[in-house]
Amino acid sequence: MLGQAIADGVLTGAIIALGAIGVSFGLQILRFANFAHSELLTWGAYIALVVVAFAGPGTPTGPLSFGWQMMAAMAVAAVLTGLLAWVMDQLVFRRLRNQGAHPLSLVFAAFGAALVMRYVVVLIWGPGTHFYTRELQFAVEVLPGIRMLPDQIFVLALTLAVVVALHLFLTYSRTGMAMRAMAESPALAKVCGVNVEGVTRWTWILSGALAAVAGTFLGLSPQVHPEMGFSLLLSLFAAAILGGAGSLPGAVIGGLLVGLAENVSVLFVDPGYKGAMPFLLLLAVLFVRPQGLFGEKQ
Amino acid sequence: MIGLVSYLVFFLCIVLILGVITLGLNLQWGSTGLFNAGIVGFYAIGAYTHAIVTAAPKAGMIANMGLPWIAGVVAAMAATALVAWIVGLATIRLRGDYLAVATFGIATTIQLLTHNLEPLTGGSHGFSGIPRPLFDVLGSPFAFNLFYLGLLACVVALVYWALERMVRSPWGRVLRAIREDETAAVALGKSATRFRLEAFVVGSTLMGLAGALYVSFIGFVSPFDFVPILTFQIWAMVIIGGSGNNRGALLGALVVWTIWAATGIAVTKFVPVAYAAQGGAVQVILIGLLLVLALLFRPRGLIGEAAQVSRHAEKG
Amino acid sequence: MSVHKMLAALAGGVALTALLSVGGAGTAQAQGVACPVKIGGILPLTGSMAPITKKIAESAQLAVEHINAGGGVKGCPVQLVLRDDQGQPTVGVDAAKYLVEVERVPAITGTISSGVTGPIIASVTAPSRVVQISCCSTASAFTLDGRSQGYFFRTLPTSKTQAFATASEIAKRGLKKTAIIYVNTDFGIDMTRFVKEALPKLGGEITAEVAYNDNQPSYRAEVQRALAARPESLLLIGFPKDAVTIVREWLSLGGSPKIALNNSMRVKDFVDGVGARFLNEAFGMDNAQVQGPTVDAFNQAFLAKFGYDSQGPGVHTQYDAVMAIGLAMNIAKDLTGPSIKDAVRQIHAAGGATVGTGPDEFRKAVGLIREGKAIKYHGATGPLEFDANGDVTGPALVWKITNGEILVDYTISIEEMQALFKKVEG
Repeated sequence: MLGQAIADGVLTGAIIALGAIGVSFGLQILRFANFAHSELLTWGAYIALVVVAFAGPGTPTGPLSFGWQMMAAMAVAAVLTGLLAWVMDQLVFRRLRNQGAHPLSLVFAAFGAALVMRYVVVLIWGPGTHFYTRELQFAVEVLPGIRMLPDQIFVLALTLAVVVALHLFLTYSRTGMAMRAMAESPALAKVCGVNVEGVTRWTWILSGALAAVAGTFLGLSPQVHPEMGFSLLLSLFAAAILGGAGSLPGAVIGGLLVGLAENVSVLFVDPGYKGAMPFLLLLAVLFVRPQGLFGEKQ
Repeated sequence: MIGLVSYLVFFLCIVLILGVITLGLNLQWGSTGLFNAGIVGFYAIGAYTHAIVTAAPKAGMIANMGLPWIAGVVAAMAATALVAWIVGLATIRLRGDYLAVATFGIATTIQLLTHNLEPLTGGSHGFSGIPRPLFDVLGSPFAFNLFYLGLLACVVALVYWALERMVRSPWGRVLRAIREDETAAVALGKSATRFRLEAFVVGSTLMGLAGALYVSFIGFVSPFDFVPILTFQIWAMVIIGGSGNNRGALLGALVVWTIWAATGIAVTKFVPVAYAAQGGAVQVILIGLLLVLALLFRPRGLIGEAAQVSRHAEKG
Repeated sequence: MSVHKMLAALAGGVALTALLSVGGAGTAQAQGVACPVKIGGILPLTGSMAPITKKIAESAQLAVEHINAGGGVKGCPVQLVLRDDQGQPTVGVDAAKYLVEVERVPAITGTISSGVTGPIIASVTAPSRVVQISCCSTASAFTLDGRSQGYFFRTLPTSKTQAFATASEIAKRGLKKTAIIYVNTDFGIDMTRFVKEALPKLGGEITAEVAYNDNQPSYRAEVQRALAARPESLLLIGFPKDAVTIVREWLSLGGSPKIALNNSMRVKDFVDGVGARFLNEAFGMDNAQVQGPTVDAFNQAFLAKFGYDSQGPGVHTQYDAVMAIGLAMNIAKDLTGPSIKDAVRQIHAAGGATVGTGPDEFRKAVGLIREGKAIKYHGATGPLEFDANGDVTGPALVWKITNGEILVDYTISIEEMQALFKKVEG
């Protein structure tokens, strides 16, 4: 039981982690809590849905429930959602920054933007649910007492690959280094000649792309609907803050911890309280370490 | 015509109840800069405390007390203050947006508690049979609503007067000083944490008061009353009305709630039933856009903070 | 900002509301009532319930069209004034108050969420003596504790009927160990409570009861908990969207394909969502006699009008809610709440002439009423009969899924239901 709960927690956590990376960058590099981030997950999932509607999910490859078309759809969704995030910044947040608005004004603007984005989805695709594929897989026993779906193992592997690639990008590329510099100290980065607008643009695009990947994974298990991102919003924030804003390993570990808290707690407490678990964990961590597990002290 | 008047009386009652919450939030956000995203949690504590204290005992409900209305109001404020104090102790030191997420989480937890503690709250069936003051004496619903509007007007006037005195007092000036420049305020020997905590507790207590006023007006409460969108609506009211200004907070409650209700009526009137779902979506999109546009083009709200309060600050 | 500005803003709001509310001017007179006759409607057209609400709203609209094509109310056409409650109590209460005070409707149909229906009854319809008929709110408190003062009715049978039938069917199929996963709402809690009361007495055992909250991305944790004691079958009580996720996770984690479902899952979306081939051993219950000529007539009319079938939670009960209002308004001596309330009970007079669904049947009913004859309405959910509380009880049916088709397995007659009640409750 416990082993299975941990496996499920890791899987939920992987998807949360992908979404939380964007939130974490937002908190540290863009310096505000982007409550519209969850809608980028939804948009990513719906863009992939449009591609799948044209190309079909493809014939299942090996044990997976989908073919290469699904991967292509995810890539298209990542690019377009990245652009969407950037457009959102240009339309709303950049203007607010240039006006010298209070950082928390950006948070409210994000609240408003989230509402608009969510209901535009309802307007275009309707309030109902959609599916990428109608295949149903049966779980295989990967370890004694632990069952997982082939799709889930694939999602885990791909998440790992994305995180490693992102880590390399942040460590070795010019833009990645500039992003880290911004995260540590925007003022210093500016003085050192970092192109602030450029870094901001890349942060939005990357966050959007990662959100689209997370959204597509979320849609694979098993459906796409307008509230899918919103229902994950609090988990994303809990994960990002838990790990420490601006830290890539922090966001990943935060995501995993939140996933585990949701899944393991059900064994011990009434599942009716599952939704509160990420927060209780978050409060406990913040009480001991106000900057999060991997965060730098302000 | 009497129908329209009757509807408006009812409508204004809701606006005034929301106004008590916006006044509370304005003290926290407008005067102190605290980002409380858990408004519905404190509102829920006040609402359920009042319900439990005033409802007559009945089978299946373990804690109903059947005490008078005023006891319910006092208990609701006391319970909310206590919870806010505990929450504040744990979270008040957090940076702005972390406080937002933490309070949001607390509100979610409180809502789950109201949902799951069935013997105490009635769970998802809701809590019915909450007495309304003088409802039977007054006879007609219109007379009751009119009476309640008067009562609410008195409460709001009292709260407004008290808040105005508070923000103009030395205590209020310290709050603003902390909001504008915490380091300087601390250097002057003021404990920022203590003042913040006090503002947080007082503001939350008002939200609890609003909860009590709401349930004793409607007579029924359930966990669905405390969905996160209400927090969003209250924030929109304070931002659009003008944060840092108590009259702005009240005006925001009136304006935003009018827009919310009027767009609903407009959708009914002008959108065919077949497209009502799309009409509803457009309604929400408009509200979201309004908030974004207000922030972009009128960041100080309809009526911003009076300039003399921080006359040395940059004029905006 | 001065008091003047605030008053000006207020006046603006008033003017706007007034402007919007004079839309229905230009009334005519027929049989002493003002035309058109307005019926209020409140449904969550947006929000998390929106996916199921679309068809429900269409069903209400269809009923209004049938009433109008069948002669309307007292010679007047009927107009449905439909408001969105967004699933939010304050919005719903405001909408109800607007309908009652500004639109002056004497009857309202709505709404879905019990959390919205409750405050509307307590603060608007009962105090203002306006009839309210809901298609979908199940919380027992509304009718039982007397707060509705007889003004609240609902056309969906109580959870008890369905729960007892479910328990009986599970026992009949010889499934000894059953796990329950239920939605954490008044509906799920009531159903689970009644199944728990009945199943042990009929020879079954409940191995786990797991509540779930709606709109979660995954339910693996809940499913694992239900699977822990290796049950032979699952009873899933909930709504289609989350149920698709739960059933898929249940099956892929090795759960038994013998799955009992509640009435909400008797929809194509659910079967398609899970995958028809995985549901051949699944079965479900529905309460009320959702078959017979009047039901078929409704289904055909719905298909003809909208181009898709009428399956879905609340669609049939919503049609009956509006038809009940239409019939009661014709019977009532005047169009006030108290008269309509009394008339609602006369649409199922013992020994009355049977009237069914559709415009022709409505016309027939209006004719009979004019002649002073008694009627008995058989609706989109079969014969409709309100009990003393304003609830309906009725026969139940068992359905199954064969190659993606949802078929009626057999029906449990009202006599058999009563025997079952006796067996469980002693």
